[in-house]
Amino acid sequence: MKFLPYLLKHLRRNWVRTTSTVLAMALCIFLFCTLQSVLAAINALLESSSANRLVTRHAVSLVFNLPLSYENRIQSVPGVKRVARTSWFGGSLPAKKEGKADEGDSSTTDWSNFFQNMAVDAEPFFAMYPEYQVPPDQFQAFLQDLRGCVIGRKLAEKFGWKVGDTFFLESFIPPYRKRDGPFEFVVRAIYDVDRVRYPSADRNSMFFHYKYLYEATGRGVGAGTYTVEITDPNQAGAVSKAIDALFANSDAQTRTETEKAFQAGFISMAGNLALLLNGIGLAIAFTILLVTANTMSMAVRERRTEIAVLKTLGFSSGQVMGLIVAEALLLGILGGALGIGSSLALTWTLTHTPGIKDVLAGIGLSELTLRPVVAALGFAVSLFLGFAAGVVPALSAYRSRITDMLRTV
Amino acid sequence: MTSMVDVRDVRKVYRRDSQEVPVLDGIKLQVPEGEFVALMGPSGSGKTTLLNLIAGIDRPTSGQVIVAGTDVAQLSESALAQWRSHNIGFIFQFYNLIPVLNATENVELPLLLTSLSKKERRERATTALKVVGLADRAHHYPRQLSGGQEQRVAIARAIVTDPKVLVADEPTGDLDAKSAEEILQLIEVLNREHKKTIVMVTHDPRAATRAHTQHHLEKGVLKD
Repeated sequence: MKFLPYLLKHLRRNWVRTTSTVLAMALCIFLFCTLQSVLAAINALLESSSANRLVTRHAVSLVFNLPLSYENRIQSVPGVKRVARTSWFGGSLPAKKEGKADEGDSSTTDWSNFFQNMAVDAEPFFAMYPEYQVPPDQFQAFLQDLRGCVIGRKLAEKFGWKVGDTFFLESFIPPYRKRDGPFEFVVRAIYDVDRVRYPSADRNSMFFHYKYLYEATGRGVGAGTYTVEITDPNQAGAVSKAIDALFANSDAQTRTETEKAFQAGFISMAGNLALLLNGIGLAIAFTILLVTANTMSMAVRERRTEIAVLKTLGFSSGQVMGLIVAEALLLGILGGALGIGSSLALTWTLTHTPGIKDVLAGIGLSELTLRPVVAALGFAVSLFLGFAAGVVPALSAYRSRITDMLRTV
Repeated sequence: MTSMVDVRDVRKVYRRDSQEVPVLDGIKLQVPEGEFVALMGPSGSGKTTLLNLIAGIDRPTSGQVIVAGTDVAQLSESALAQWRSHNIGFIFQFYNLIPVLNATENVELPLLLTSLSKKERRERATTALKVVGLADRAHHYPRQLSGGQEQRVAIARAIVTDPKVLVADEPTGDLDAKSAEEILQLIEVLNREHKKTIVMVTHDPRAATRAHTQHHLEKGVLKD
C-alpha cells in the first residue's frame, strides 16, 4: 500500500492518456457486462422452459395461425399427453385512463404499460404449467367466466388490480381486434410462482380464454401456436417429427420444437445472438488489450531513466516489475469499476423507465439486471486486461540493465 | 585505515555483436574509509564504468570489487539490489529526480524499501533536505527547482539511507559555476562532517582538487 501514492502520481503524469485508457477499458467492461446481462436474462427465460413441452407453429412464420382442426390430430400422436391452443394476443391498455377506458375508444393505446397476454385453452394449459400456482377457488371462477383472466402477482401489484376488477385490452394484431372496441376482462385469479423451484418463471403475464378471443372475433381466427405436453422428454425429437409429418402435405405445414428452442427463436434466434454478443465482446476486449498494452509500453519507454534510477536506489528487478504491473492493474481496476458502474446504471435505468421496462417485461426480460456473477466476471476481465497489458513492458523493465538504460538518457 | 573500496585486478569487456571492446584493463584501486577520491580522465577512458562497478550496478568481467567488505560480483541480482540500498548513495550528473514526485517524496523514495513507518520516512527525508539546505523547498516539484537545487535534492536522496559510500558521476557537469561550487562544498561537508567515503568522477580539474586523492584513467588503465 505504501507504493499506491507513487503509482497514482504516475497515472496522473499524463492524465489525458490515462483518462482515455481508463475510458477505453470502461467501455469494454461496460459492453461486456451489459451484453452478458442481456444473455443472462435470455438464458434465465429459456431455463424457465420445460423439457416436456413442445410448441407447434406455422412452418412459414408465427404471423400465420394454424387451423383449429390440428388440435385433435396432434392429440392423437403417440407420446402426446395434452394440447392447448396458445395465441399471443399482443394487447395493450387503452391510453385514456388506466383500466377505466371507455369502451369503443380504440384510437390510442398505452404502450408504456405493455405486458404479455395470451389467449389459452385454460384447463390443459394450466395443467401443463405447474409453475403457475392459482388458488383452486379462483381458478374455478376463472373457468366459469368467459371474460375472466388470470394475472401474475407482479402485474396485479403494478396496476393495483385485485380479483373482481375489470380492464380493457386492445390488440395491435388486426385479426384480433373487435369492431366494437377493446376486449373487456375481469380479473378472476391471481397466480403466484414457486420462486425456489422456478426462479425464472414469469410473474408479469396475463392469460384469458381462447374461446373469448375466438367468439369475439367472429370465429375467424385459428391458433397462434399449440403448446404440447409430452409424456417423455427424451422423445421430444421423435414426437416433434411425428407432428410435423402429419401436416407435411397440408397448406399450413407446421414446425414443432421444444419450448426452449421456440423461445430462443422468438428472442431473435438467441443461440446465434449469444455467439454474436460474445464475439463482439471478445473483439472489443482484444482491441482494448492492444490499446492498453501500447499505453503501458509507451509509459514504460518514457520512464527508462526512472526505472534505472529505481534499480540504482535498490529496487530489485522484481519490485520494479511489480510496480509496472500494479500500475497496469490500477488502470484495469479504474476502468473495470467505471464500466461495471455504467452497466449497472444502464440496466437499472432500462428496468425502471416507464415504457422501456414494460417492453422488456412483454418479451420476458423483466429480470434484466447486472448479476453479481456478471459484475465479478467483468471485474476479472478488467484485471486480466490490465495484467496482460502490463506484463510485457514489465518484463522488459525486469530484464533491462541499469547501465544500458542510463546510457540512453 | 581499512579500505572501504578495494578494486582488485578488474577487467571489464563489453561485447558489441561479435566484437569485444575492453573498457577496463587490470584496474587496482583502494579507497580507505572516509576518503574523498576523484576519478578523472578523457571521455571513453572507463571512469564511469569503474564507478558503476563500485556502485554495484554493473559487474566486472574478471577480478573483484569489494565494497564495505562485500564482493559485489558474488551477489545475486536481488541481493545486490538490497546491498545497494544499504551501502551506496548514487549522485547522477543529470539529477534524475522523478518529475511527478515533490522534493520530499523523491528523497523518501529509497526509504520505501525499508520497514519504516510513513511518519519516520517523512522525518528522515526532511532531515536529509535540511542537511542539503532545502528544507524550505520540501514540497516543490523538480520543475520548480533550479539545477543546483535539483542536485541538492538528488544528494539528499543519496544520503537519506545513511549509506557508507557515495558515488557521484560528474555531479557538477550540468551546473553553472556558482551552483557547481555549492554542490562541491556540500559534498565536502558530507565527507568531512558525516564521514562518508566518496568516489567522484569528474572532467573538471577544479572539482577534482576538492578531493583528497585524484586518479587518472586512460584507455581503461589507471595511470596513478
